[in-house]
Amino acid sequence: MRRLTAALSALYAGLIYLFIFLPVVVLVLFSFQDGTLPVPPLNGLTLRWYEAVLSDGKLMAALGNSLLVAVLSSALACLLGFLAAYAFARYRLPASALLRGLLVAPMTVSTLIIGLGLLSVLNVTGLRLSLVTVGIGHVVINLPLCFAVIYASMGGHQVNIERAARDLGAKDWQVMALVTAPMLMPSILAAFFLSVTFSWDEFIVAFLLSRFDVTLPVEIWSMLRSGLDPKTNAVGSLVFLVSVAFLLVMELAVFRKSGRSS
Amino acid sequence: MRKTVSAARMRRLLLVTASAALLSASAASAQETLNALVWCDHTDPGLIEPFEKANDVKVNLKEYEGTGAAISIIEQSRPGDWDVLVIDAVDVPRAIDMDILGEMPADQLPLADLFPEVRMDETTTKDGKVYAVTEKFGYNTISFDKTKVDPADMEDLSVAWSEKYKGRIALYDYYLPMVGLTGVGIGKKTADLTEADLPEIKEKLFEMKKVSRQVSDVVASQTALATGEVDIVIGGGEWLTAGLVAEKPNLDWTVPKQGALRWAQSIGVFKDSEKRDLALKFVQYIVSPEGQARLATSSCYWAMPANAKAGEHLSDAQKAVLRWDRQPEYLKNTQLYPVADADLDAAMQDVWTEMLQQ
Amino acid sequence: MTATPLERAERRKAWAFALPGLLWTGLFFLVPFAYMAMLSFWTRQGREVVATWTLDNYVAFFEKAHLFKGLVVSLEITAAVTVISVLLAYPLAWIIAERVPKRWQRFALIMAILPFWTSYVVRSYSWLLVLSKGGVVNQALLWTGLLSEPLELSANRTGTIIGFVHFFVMLLTLTIYANLIQLSPNYRRAAADLGANAFQTFWHVVLPLTLPGIMVGAFLTFVLCIGDYITPQILGGNNELVLPQVIMLQLGRRADFPMAAALSLVLMVVVTLAYVACARWLKMERT
Repeated sequence: MRRLTAALSALYAGLIYLFIFLPVVVLVLFSFQDGTLPVPPLNGLTLRWYEAVLSDGKLMAALGNSLLVAVLSSALACLLGFLAAYAFARYRLPASALLRGLLVAPMTVSTLIIGLGLLSVLNVTGLRLSLVTVGIGHVVINLPLCFAVIYASMGGHQVNIERAARDLGAKDWQVMALVTAPMLMPSILAAFFLSVTFSWDEFIVAFLLSRFDVTLPVEIWSMLRSGLDPKTNAVGSLVFLVSVAFLLVMELAVFRKSGRSS
Repeated sequence: MRKTVSAARMRRLLLVTASAALLSASAASAQETLNALVWCDHTDPGLIEPFEKANDVKVNLKEYEGTGAAISIIEQSRPGDWDVLVIDAVDVPRAIDMDILGEMPADQLPLADLFPEVRMDETTTKDGKVYAVTEKFGYNTISFDKTKVDPADMEDLSVAWSEKYKGRIALYDYYLPMVGLTGVGIGKKTADLTEADLPEIKEKLFEMKKVSRQVSDVVASQTALATGEVDIVIGGGEWLTAGLVAEKPNLDWTVPKQGALRWAQSIGVFKDSEKRDLALKFVQYIVSPEGQARLATSSCYWAMPANAKAGEHLSDAQKAVLRWDRQPEYLKNTQLYPVADADLDAAMQDVWTEMLQQ
Repeated sequence: MTATPLERAERRKAWAFALPGLLWTGLFFLVPFAYMAMLSFWTRQGREVVATWTLDNYVAFFEKAHLFKGLVVSLEITAAVTVISVLLAYPLAWIIAERVPKRWQRFALIMAILPFWTSYVVRSYSWLLVLSKGGVVNQALLWTGLLSEPLELSANRTGTIIGFVHFFVMLLTLTIYANLIQLSPNYRRAAADLGANAFQTFWHVVLPLTLPGIMVGAFLTFVLCIGDYITPQILGGNNELVLPQVIMLQLGRRADFPMAAALSLVLMVVVTLAYVACARWLKMERT
């Protein structure tokens, strides 16, 4: 009986993992497709689509744009989220629950609505669409997440250490930057990397709020709209490999270390 | 304190990444720029880069699908945002009415070299002034896999709603030519289409939806045709299959006996452009024989160049794919896109959306 | 009660920390939202947006079948996706939490997330390669002789649902797993001591205790699924349109912002109703 459950468990997990991995395996496989049609059947293997991607100026620019928007918008979202979390956890503010609700509200709204609202307002103000407007949208999306993650990790046990630092003559900003922030670094980093992940792959806001300089998902979208192109599979695979490498580095360098010492 | 150390290291890493990204982004922003609102075939670097190099400019391209989309982008912009517009030739009067296009000097454009059938003076000029010039044309008709269907069946547009190929048809997802083509299929001239014709067309569209497998954009249609998901694309044409025939020689297209739709793109300069000379130069490049040959074979879709002299710069193989020699018969048996004012346009879109939701 | 100067200084500080985030959310979320709500009562006439203050757009939504059906299709697909995803994810989360050795659990979770670190847009298109008539799944099934005719798995609702379930199985596995490992083994021991068999323990003890995790995950699934444009656009074959596709049509093809705004508000109301329904499980707690 026990063995049967174990076998069934393994079988079930195996099937689900197969399902989860299927499109990515196929994607990577067809990124090596020889010939100009990235569709079955597989004709042969070649690396030329990877070369084509790496020498494609527009794709590479879009990749740079994505990185820029993801890193800067996430950093800003984390900073604003941290400050707000600090205020709500350490001080008593009037209508605290309502204001906290406001801060997390964008999380429960579809990104399409956030993007559409920003676009309508930007149209009226006459502000030109650019990577900056995309970044503004991404901060709106990620701020609730950063706030919630950091706020949830602000427990009472840190208060004593902060008080001790204050007793030793540290100023408020010093306490915050040198005591609170380092103590909360695991959750701040977690919030940051989650934000980067969302921003990096976010499509609809980036699509609605950009003009000439676009992020990678938007560039890929317009590639896919305009004709069969094997480069799309290659760029998808590249993004995958780079992300996995990044994830492994993070896993080894940041989370494992912080996990051990806490 | 190990956490702080690793945190500091992280911060430095992030700073380096961010500044590297910033540098790479700002490196390319020194030159003069030209902003063009285009169909996707203009985004091919093979077409744009020679012009950028020769004039030391950066051409910013924003692609759109359908005049309605272009007009909505323009309405959301401020005067001076855009320099060059590529637009369906039949819609140029709309653009002229909106007062967004500037006049171009006729003597500096190779108007005499254009195929006479696609010069379209009646729409691209007004009161003797040239506002746009035709640059490329092709057909919304029937693309198919000739090994899987009977090519003789493709000579009749009614194949679009016949049960014979049920589940093997894709419809091209662009309401304007599809409404027009359906009209042609039931004997209505596109030039005379009014809202009164729509109920009849709608009925046919619903029938087409019933026998079709999917309604799809360019890539999804191409994918479906290339993988055998479908064998016929209604609304397709040379622009859909030309890029695929090298590897899928069994793909073909035809103009059925009732005729089909002819599209023609034109290019013009925005009235409020702050760089009108440069914009005109770009237009001149696009309609020059070299530019035309590149545009005809650009990566997004191939189609006939409007300038007859482009033939000198195209190989025989390219001309064969474009069916250079058969254009006279196609031109004779095809009609232009319907011209729709805002109300008719909205009504046609409603019909199309209703069809999608059937 | 009057505040002492010290308290007032403290409060000023608190506001200084909280304001930047609040302002950002107010300026770039609340204001646009309010503007959009207002816009939804205006109308587009010809090429102009006119401040009409009517309910025309909402009336049109309920009267025009092709608009209203967008909501129906959205709800049907989202409901199916949420239920299927929970049913598929729960056993996996349970297996990872209970059957996989502790030190491999993290690895198992990372493996579940890994495929999602590729571009969402490309991933959706690669489902076409998997699901199409000549695609991997059909070829495999035909080859094994299980099928004689290829299944129609893409360019229809099946395709859209498969594409969605793929993502949400991963998400739900994470949230349910997080809930499962917080359960103290004592509960189960107590249940066993009281004579409950494995099924009874699961049904009366484990499941109720993991319900919050399921509800949080299901709510997230609902919100993300009902607002998504890419998956149905790529995998649905335009054979029916979900509400976000209808909204994008209003924007892209005719720049009808008022109509798009009205449809967005409808979407928003639906999500809010779902939130109210799940609210008791969604309380944000500080540890």
